[in-house]
Amino acid sequence: MARYYLNIRNGGGYVEDMEGQELPDLAAARLQAIEGVRSVLSEEARQGEIDLSGSIEIADQAGNILLILPFSDAVHLRLNEKEA
Amino acid sequence: MIERHLLKLRARAPVGADEEQAIRDAVGEVRTYPADHVVIRAGQRIEASTLLLDGIMCRYKDLSEGQRQITELHVSGDFVDLHSFTLKRLDHNIMTLTPCRVAMVPHEKLGQITERFPHLTRLYWFTTNMDAAIHREWELSLGRRTALSRIAALFCEMRLRLEVVGMTEGETYALPLTQTDLAECLGLTPIHVNRTLKELREQGLVQFKSGRVTILDWDRLRDVAEFDPAYLYLGPIPL
Repeated sequence: MARYYLNIRNGGGYVEDMEGQELPDLAAARLQAIEGVRSVLSEEARQGEIDLSGSIEIADQAGNILLILPFSDAVHLRLNEKEA
Repeated sequence: MIERHLLKLRARAPVGADEEQAIRDAVGEVRTYPADHVVIRAGQRIEASTLLLDGIMCRYKDLSEGQRQITELHVSGDFVDLHSFTLKRLDHNIMTLTPCRVAMVPHEKLGQITERFPHLTRLYWFTTNMDAAIHREWELSLGRRTALSRIAALFCEMRLRLEVVGMTEGETYALPLTQTDLAECLGLTPIHVNRTLKELREQGLVQFKSGRVTILDWDRLRDVAEFDPAYLYLGPIPL
């Protein structure tokens, strides 16, 4: 287990994760980030405007950025039938 | 030891000296638990109800992948499972979110209270009804409120419940929960909670920092949450 910090960067600015979460590994942190983005986007969908331009920065305790997950990597978008 | 419990009861109805003594006589073993400890598992046979003396506990249910939904928070002075007196096993789990101290109240003693103290029994019946009212309010939040107003409503509720038991200081109170705990109360994720907390702070409504809630603008916070404290039945009730 290690402590991962999931900071948010999007149209609303930068939200630093001051608390972090204990997770088994970076893959688990990435899953957390994906779930987090989906949760934020679902709320935006309810309000009718989805902003996919942000990203989640996954950092370790020392502040090193281990991975950047663009919001767009958390969802599959199908804009017309032939992309199905 | 049961002072906060008495404050909670007396906010709604007088508790006579004989009733108070009956509660004190019913309280048995005192236990302490670390944070994140499951105290009662769904389905287990229960023979004593747990009165929370210090700390924060919660009722929760979960799914197989570990997704947890907290259905109510409990603060000092609450019975976390008075309903186990009649149910004998719970359909949900109960765990600590912070280090906790609890007192065990054997169901046998509660049975004696119901036989000898009808007014106190009605008061305890009221408190289980109040838990149900809180569940209904959380249903409204989970089903209909936006993330922003969900968090706002929770902070409003906890302020008033903690005020009853003397645990607020003006516009601030301790709520030593993590973003993950909040996410599990609110049907959100820690990332979503973190982002929404920032929005609440930037709008000058409320600040949550290092396990402490500071209300910046109570009236606007209530408006954002559409918070109506009627479900907390804060005033005296003729029982």
